[in-house]
Amino acid sequence: MVTMGLLLALSFVVSLLALAFLIWAISNKQVAPDQHDARVIFEPGDEGHVDSGETATSRPYHFDTVRSGIDAVSTRPVAVLLIAATVWLVIGSVFGLVASLKLHWPDWLSDHAALTFGRVRTLHLNLVIYGWLSQVGIAAMIWVLPRIFHTPLRAPRLPLIGAALWNAAVLLGAIAIANGWTDGEEWLEIPWQLDLVLALAGVFFMVPLIKTTLARQVHHIYVTGWYFLAGILWFPCLFVIANLPYVHSGVEEATVNWWFAHNVLGLWLTPIGVGTAYYFIPKIIGKPVFSYAVSLIGFWGLALFYSQVGIHHLIGGPVPTWVATLSVVHSVMMFIPVIAVAINQHITVGQNLWALKESLPLRFIAFGALMYTMASFQGSIEALRSVNSVTHFTHYTVGHAHLGAYAFVTITMFGAVYHMLPRMTGRVFRWPALINAHFWLVVIGFAIYFFGLSIGGWLQGLAMLDGTRPFSESVILTKPYLEARSVGGALMTLGHLVFAFNVASILLPQRVPESVRTVPAE
Amino acid sequence: MNNYLPLSIISLGILAFATLMLVIAPGIEMARPEPPAGLRPYTAEEQRGRDVYVSMGCLYCHSQQPRAPEQAPDGERGWGRPSVSADYFYDSPHQLGTMRTGPDLLNVGARLPSESWHLTHLYQPRAIFDWSIMPAYPFLFEVKAKAEEGDVVVALPPGFAPAEGVVVASQEALDLTAYLLSLDRTYPAPEDGIRDDGYRPRGDAE
Amino acid sequence: MTADRRPQRDPRHPDEHFEPYELDASIPWPLLGIAVALGVWGAATLFDTRRHEERAQVERIEDTRLATGQAVEPGHALFEASCATCHQSNGLGIRRAVPPLAGSPFVQHGPELVANIMLRGIDGPIRVNDALYDGHMPSFASVFTDVEVAELASYVAARWGENDRVLEAAEAAELRGRVSDLGSFRGGAGVAEDTGLALGDQPPFASGTLQPVAPEISALIFEGRGGQWSCASCHGDLGQGRENTPRLAGLPADYIRKQLHDFAAGRRLNESMAVVVAELTDEEKQALGAYYSGLRVPSNARPDLGGDLERGEQLAREGDWSLTVPSCFSCHGPSGFGVAPEFPPLAAQHAAYTASQLAAWAGGQRTNSSLDLMEHISSALSAADRRSVADYLASLPPVPAGTGDTLAAQGEDR
Repeated sequence: MVTMGLLLALSFVVSLLALAFLIWAISNKQVAPDQHDARVIFEPGDEGHVDSGETATSRPYHFDTVRSGIDAVSTRPVAVLLIAATVWLVIGSVFGLVASLKLHWPDWLSDHAALTFGRVRTLHLNLVIYGWLSQVGIAAMIWVLPRIFHTPLRAPRLPLIGAALWNAAVLLGAIAIANGWTDGEEWLEIPWQLDLVLALAGVFFMVPLIKTTLARQVHHIYVTGWYFLAGILWFPCLFVIANLPYVHSGVEEATVNWWFAHNVLGLWLTPIGVGTAYYFIPKIIGKPVFSYAVSLIGFWGLALFYSQVGIHHLIGGPVPTWVATLSVVHSVMMFIPVIAVAINQHITVGQNLWALKESLPLRFIAFGALMYTMASFQGSIEALRSVNSVTHFTHYTVGHAHLGAYAFVTITMFGAVYHMLPRMTGRVFRWPALINAHFWLVVIGFAIYFFGLSIGGWLQGLAMLDGTRPFSESVILTKPYLEARSVGGALMTLGHLVFAFNVASILLPQRVPESVRTVPAE
Repeated sequence: MNNYLPLSIISLGILAFATLMLVIAPGIEMARPEPPAGLRPYTAEEQRGRDVYVSMGCLYCHSQQPRAPEQAPDGERGWGRPSVSADYFYDSPHQLGTMRTGPDLLNVGARLPSESWHLTHLYQPRAIFDWSIMPAYPFLFEVKAKAEEGDVVVALPPGFAPAEGVVVASQEALDLTAYLLSLDRTYPAPEDGIRDDGYRPRGDAE
Repeated sequence: MTADRRPQRDPRHPDEHFEPYELDASIPWPLLGIAVALGVWGAATLFDTRRHEERAQVERIEDTRLATGQAVEPGHALFEASCATCHQSNGLGIRRAVPPLAGSPFVQHGPELVANIMLRGIDGPIRVNDALYDGHMPSFASVFTDVEVAELASYVAARWGENDRVLEAAEAAELRGRVSDLGSFRGGAGVAEDTGLALGDQPPFASGTLQPVAPEISALIFEGRGGQWSCASCHGDLGQGRENTPRLAGLPADYIRKQLHDFAAGRRLNESMAVVVAELTDEEKQALGAYYSGLRVPSNARPDLGGDLERGEQLAREGDWSLTVPSCFSCHGPSGFGVAPEFPPLAAQHAAYTASQLAAWAGGQRTNSSLDLMEHISSALSAADRRSVADYLASLPPVPAGTGDTLAAQGEDR
């Protein structure tokens, strides 16, 4: 297959050239914020530190979102999306916990088809991806984009319609899956007829965000905006192509499946998580991020490399060698953008560790950002053929998936929600200790979950690779680790209940004296 | 970056390029006009059974893609020769799977050809494997006082049979078993078979 | 966390209106270094994999040609590999044990009859040129492809029967289809009867191999009983097995009985077999052993584990003394036809089954061989060796009719 080999080489060369061009352009100031912007936003000697004592309006990089009325417009759609997302999070994690328990109590709840492992697990995945993460991500976009563009959200009623459609589709999708009506591929189980509704709902989310972008009052788009704006373009393309019915079949369908499923992580959930962290970390700390140039590498590197890693889910399978290798190589190349993001975010946090003590939301977000680095490093290494032979087909990959989708994205979004809610409602959390409890429940729960599955999965993989050990050994030895996972999962689920309580407690009308109502603390 | 239009165009361009590389090019390479010799289409019953397999989510624990001997001892375990893309000619939705919480099933019909064994195993896996963590599927069966004409009675070891009556397989269970028994890709791989050969080929020295 | 705290805030803390932005720092050089290093690594990996890929494709084509019989090999090489062990390279056979080919009227009738006998095998007394033989020719139907059958039959007929007719592969295929269900020829008389050819005076065939099966045993085998699945439901109607479900046809009765005992007693572990044997009586185990030992079935095993057949042949015939592994055939009889009751036939056993048992011995899950011989041998073999020898044994013709004892004796003769 000379032609395919050439294509392969071509693809990688194109990616490398694109990255090299980007670095060249950066070093030649081709893509720096232009001079006009610099004149407007910089005042001599004012970069890099925040001086207090002046009024907000007269200072650069300061903008009052409350007085300008921007937040007020966003509050309703954001609140609706957050409430729905929180409900799905709780339901989704209960299903996750049930699925986890069923792996070591296989005869528990086995009398109904709807409660069989294969369906409960699927419900968990779809509810947390489409119900929780996607909605909380869109909520963060609706909150953040108008703020960084200094203009109120346009068409603010559309997201409400979108939310109604989206949640109806997620609910119907869940009912369909529970009753055995499924498209039958991982991450794409919701029947395509309902996917049409999801896609339509997506339009109602996209239009206001893009209209807001076009109406923006600032020239320069802050890095969070790149991630969010690219994400809302990428995800619909992925979703529609992968869900086209009657087009895909056989192994080609499998490549579409994993091209989609990994891009949902890379080009949808990751932009949500990284974009959110990019906004809230400097926002809470009050210091800028380290480098514009590095953030460009992080973003375009993600786009170039992450988009081609999906087939590492089929290593050693019935796909052309070159496409598997292509995904392996691109997976490892992901080190570049991940290190770039790590430099920008961790340096900002690391130089301001005091803020972690001060701000509970920052604690969630900084932890999540750190987990992005960890998950990506782990993913790059896991894609190497030698490592993949052990870890693929085992619970290790489940641990990895949760490191990305949970420890990184979900925990980052928890922080964002805790930061947004007081500013949306003008109220404070009445029991900050519960926020702290939520943090430690999910962090400790996740640690048990992750280390349990990683160690158990690795041992399981080694057992399966050794022909002199019967297959049964790979099952038996994982049982204690699966039990540990249930313990961790139970703590995480408990944490989510606390989270839901916190969200409810601040959104429900409170009997708090008007005098206490003020901009809340972190 | 200051403009949304270039940002959008380049972002989507990169995604289109990735789609070309990961989906379209391999799709063209793997496309073939006809199935390999030795592979037959699913019968109506097997196809119904496949639908049951899909709806029960068997794929979340069972892969259908034996690996090459250079990578893993799948052949020794009786899971069959390394599969090639042509082996999946009739499969949609694909069920390649990413987990081996249970064993690979692409050739389960060859290595476990007993219908009655599968029915027992589906009704209660722990009747055979006391260590198994596979779900039981009692809802695919019916407990009757007496088997009627045409009923397939499930053989159950003592301790797993109901106190009274017999366990009879539903049509779904029979279909599912028919599908499992049809899983047999032991015919020789076609010459132009495509698979990931990225592990050390046999010719290399140890 | 209330408004009261506001005045005591950390003085470094910003006010609410701070807007995130990026500083203008340049790219740190380590990041550039890592990017360059990864780029080089990626290019090298791609190049390396392409080499693997091309090679694997070539090997797969070879494998497929081998499996579908498109390999072009002269009949001579095939004869030396598969026939000469018994009929000898000079075609003279072994006195009183293996009939000669040279000058045999059977061979003189031409390649079609030779091919027919190769495909069906002979089970029963046969007279060749005034000498009487106890015929135990295995069926080679599973071993040779149509092309190979045609080449080999043409070669044998031309060299020892002086018959120049050339059998075409298509004719061999047609013949194979015609005789596939007929089983072995019943001695020389059976050959004469079935083909209508003049073959001289042939001794009458006396059926002695297949005992009538008691109805209860037949029910166990074909229908199962209570909580037990039938034997045939997994091992096939003819005891031929598939993949890692073993071929039982032709295994010694006592060997089968011992294995059933060992499953019941937990000396040999297999969950499904444990269920099946739980309620078998000793008599039933004996009867099942007797039934399967008498079955004569063509082989359906194939070398399909991707093992190295030359290495497998070396291990089977010579062993590997650098590993202190004796040859398989030194205990399991010439051509792996078995030595009852301790040493089961290995020939035509499924490669996945043989390899899985070797692995089980090596891993300590199977511990019931006599004198722990197999535990020792299996542990010394690498995974690749296990596959190689299993593949080679799967490529052999099945155990012929007759007892393992006679064949072992023949082996010693030579």
